[in-house]
Amino acid sequence: MKEKFKYIGKSIRKHDVKEKVTGKIKYAGDMKLGGMLYAKMLLSDAAHANIINIDTSKAEALKGVVKVFTHRDVPKNYYNSHKWYKGVDFPRDELILTEKVRHVGDRVAIVVAKDMETVERALSLIKVEYERLPVITSIEDAMKEGTTYIHGLSNKAFEKTIKCGDSSQILKEAEMVFEDVITTPKQHHAAMETHICVAEQDSFGNITVWSPCQVVFQVQLIIAEALDIPLDNIRVIKTIMGGSFGGKGQPILEPICAFLAMETGKPVQLITDRTQSIIGMRSRNASKICVKTAVDHEGKILARNIDADIDIGAYYTNGSAVPMAMGKKSFRMYKIKDQTFNGRSYFTNTVVGGACRGYGSPQIHAATEINIDNIARGLHMDPAELRLKNFVKPYDKDPTGGPDLGNARVIDCVERGMKVFKWKKKRSKAKAKGRFVRGFGMACAVHGNGYHGAYPDFITMTMRITNDNAVVLKSAIHDQGCGTVTTMKQIVGEVLDIHPDKVIVPQADTAFSPYDSAGTQASRVTFVCGGGAKKTAELAREELIAKSSVILDCKEDNITIKDGFIWNVEDEENKFTFGEMVVKIQNELEEDIEVTHTYKSPANPGVYAVNFVEVEVDRFTGLVKVIDVLAVHDIGQAINRDFVEGQIQGGAHMSIGLALSEEIKIDRMGRVGTLNFSKYHIINAPDMPDVRVELIEEGEALGPFGAKSVGEVCAAATAPAIINAINDALDINITDLPATPERVLKAIREKG
Amino acid sequence: MKLEFIVNDKHEIIDVYPGERLLDALRNKLGLTSVKEGCGEGECGACTIIMDGAAVTSCTILAMQAKGKEIITTEGLEKSGELDILQESFMKNGAIQCGYCTPGMLMSSKALLIKNPNPTKEEIKRAIEGNLCRCTGYTKIINAVLDAIER
Ligand code: FES
Ligand code: FES
Repeated sequence: MKEKFKYIGKSIRKHDVKEKVTGKIKYAGDMKLGGMLYAKMLLSDAAHANIINIDTSKAEALKGVVKVFTHRDVPKNYYNSHKWYKGVDFPRDELILTEKVRHVGDRVAIVVAKDMETVERALSLIKVEYERLPVITSIEDAMKEGTTYIHGLSNKAFEKTIKCGDSSQILKEAEMVFEDVITTPKQHHAAMETHICVAEQDSFGNITVWSPCQVVFQVQLIIAEALDIPLDNIRVIKTIMGGSFGGKGQPILEPICAFLAMETGKPVQLITDRTQSIIGMRSRNASKICVKTAVDHEGKILARNIDADIDIGAYYTNGSAVPMAMGKKSFRMYKIKDQTFNGRSYFTNTVVGGACRGYGSPQIHAATEINIDNIARGLHMDPAELRLKNFVKPYDKDPTGGPDLGNARVIDCVERGMKVFKWKKKRSKAKAKGRFVRGFGMACAVHGNGYHGAYPDFITMTMRITNDNAVVLKSAIHDQGCGTVTTMKQIVGEVLDIHPDKVIVPQADTAFSPYDSAGTQASRVTFVCGGGAKKTAELAREELIAKSSVILDCKEDNITIKDGFIWNVEDEENKFTFGEMVVKIQNELEEDIEVTHTYKSPANPGVYAVNFVEVEVDRFTGLVKVIDVLAVHDIGQAINRDFVEGQIQGGAHMSIGLALSEEIKIDRMGRVGTLNFSKYHIINAPDMPDVRVELIEEGEALGPFGAKSVGEVCAAATAPAIINAINDALDINITDLPATPERVLKAIREKG
Repeated sequence: MKLEFIVNDKHEIIDVYPGERLLDALRNKLGLTSVKEGCGEGECGACTIIMDGAAVTSCTILAMQAKGKEIITTEGLEKSGELDILQESFMKNGAIQCGYCTPGMLMSSKALLIKNPNPTKEEIKRAIEGNLCRCTGYTKIINAVLDAIER
């Protein structure tokens, strides 16, 4: 650790660990408001059907039931829950409750009752009659001419081409073209806290909503649009987050819960169980991606063509944004002069897609990084060396006109990783002949730092230094459990040279937080919100110095700030805490130390992750064990080393699942086979390797203290590295994720 | 029905209904909200408690099955204002992110340490194999338990 910082880079504890470790902290599910009612939805078990009749009479007759709602009782304002600010629009195809169900898990009815036991009993008494329609569950079926249409007159929801140069001509003429078709599954976010929301209406008609969310202003907006009520009558308070990973990004329960509170005049807690969280919320989009790459004999990439078909499920939500995000990433890892990306989204009668940690990065990198390894195999080259010949360099431009790459250090990551992992030595070992065989693989990923260059990306923050010696940073930040609050404390502490414990950072509440354009999305929090915190603290420092110089009757240059004290350098005897100085400023000048600043993100550099993994494959059972993962990250500068490691280890967990075991399984009738954790397998402790972390900290000039993002890029490179390692172990070519034992055995059989 | 049992060193008598899960009784009747629900079918471990010295998932146990038993929840780990060594080391080792799995993790590791004060890393992993965590990748949790043993 370079000792240039006092608090930056240090592993300071998260602000709320004591409350969490004692079990005292209250999540939304632990809230109890006076007279609170309980609610739960009835979700469709038909994948595609018109509702002919819903009989709620028995449910409503049950003692304790307050009301049962169906599509007949709800406002008919179509909305799109992905919309996060006024001024952007996406096709609106969602209603609070629907008359036509489009996937197993679609919203059919809601029961509100005095207790949960009654809610559950009432739900079981509702009888729904469906007129079933043909079901589309795959991209292939969705594409067919004259098939069933889920919305309108086509199942194609979106299409877009991004390109530079002319790849098609080169691919046509090239001597060597490597083509792979890679598929990735629908993935469940699997936050341990299932989706939940609490809402209440006061006597003025104002509604307050408590939600573990990622963007309070988006929640407010969607409620306003779904219920057609004034935005400013809605207050949204972010609660303690029990895990999101993008899953709680789009407001799903919030407009419903607000509606229930308005209708019943009582506080309502709307809960979901695990099955509902799997089928009725959001998922990582499944994809089928065809990659064609032309190379020369030295391994230089000449041109590439990517065709990505995305299964977005039954509603549009971010069906345009995910393929766009995938496309943009394709141009920011390797220097390819001629490249074309075609992205297409399709509706299917399956779980709805949404944001999911990495936002397209895990899918696109699975495809391109498996393809790169196959090229290396074809050329008998080391896949790391092949990559090194093609990587972008620091300060390269994006060939499609996207934001500059900034201090892109992917090459450093690979070089460091090769050394630490002992890559060459390990790869050169002869493969075992027996039942268990080891394989080694690597893969890379690139991600962004916010929305700069695409959407409004700014945050307004207010800072006040109190007369009791605290620094309060007010803004709409949402700690997802990653340590955002403490990260902000460290940044502010560093600028003001005061211990982070003295910095108070309340979280998002639309009633009191200044506006933020995008919330916790797009890996923007450290880079953009952290940048805002730094700038705001600098302004507060200037103001403190200016006013203190009046109080101390000296030049501003004479003011010294250190370790939470301020003084005139010529009067060492009289040091004041910030609080003591503020008392003087308030009493002698009738002024205050408070600044407000709107920080616009200045850039959107690339952030890089490179993973090296070792796997052991059992030739008899097809089971794969991940033995070792080394994750090397180009992070610019870690604000809190412990948090960064935590992100990387957690991201690897999600990515190992994508590689080996996680898949929302849906059959041809649209039925979901993975309704709980007994069928949907996330990696548990015995199957999880220790993820070793190496950081490249070369600093990003436009990030706070040089910092860049980490929370999403860390979930993208492990999966393709594992697939590449399996393919290395057995000299097979698995291209379908997850590589389940059945798939591994099939590949072994096919190889013969 | 009356349920009489010992919870966190206290004799409790509460009313439960037939079919009521122990999870709900602890949360709703005794306000022990450290006991979390993550799956409702014994697969995630968020609802883990210690019953007569063994870690069990309270979502798969009827409240009445706890009759006469001795229960520990995370609320009961703190002894006269002092945190349990495991709690200290969870905080120290960065084992907590969203915190939703934390109480269950503490219960499983505590139950392990009651039976086996000196477990190996593998034994720790097995003790928490029924506790899912989506945030941490488990490494820091396992390190926290190892660290607690050392201390
Ligand atoms: S809620 Fe009991 S094991 Fe998941
Ligand atoms: S800390 Fe979030 S699930 Fe474990």
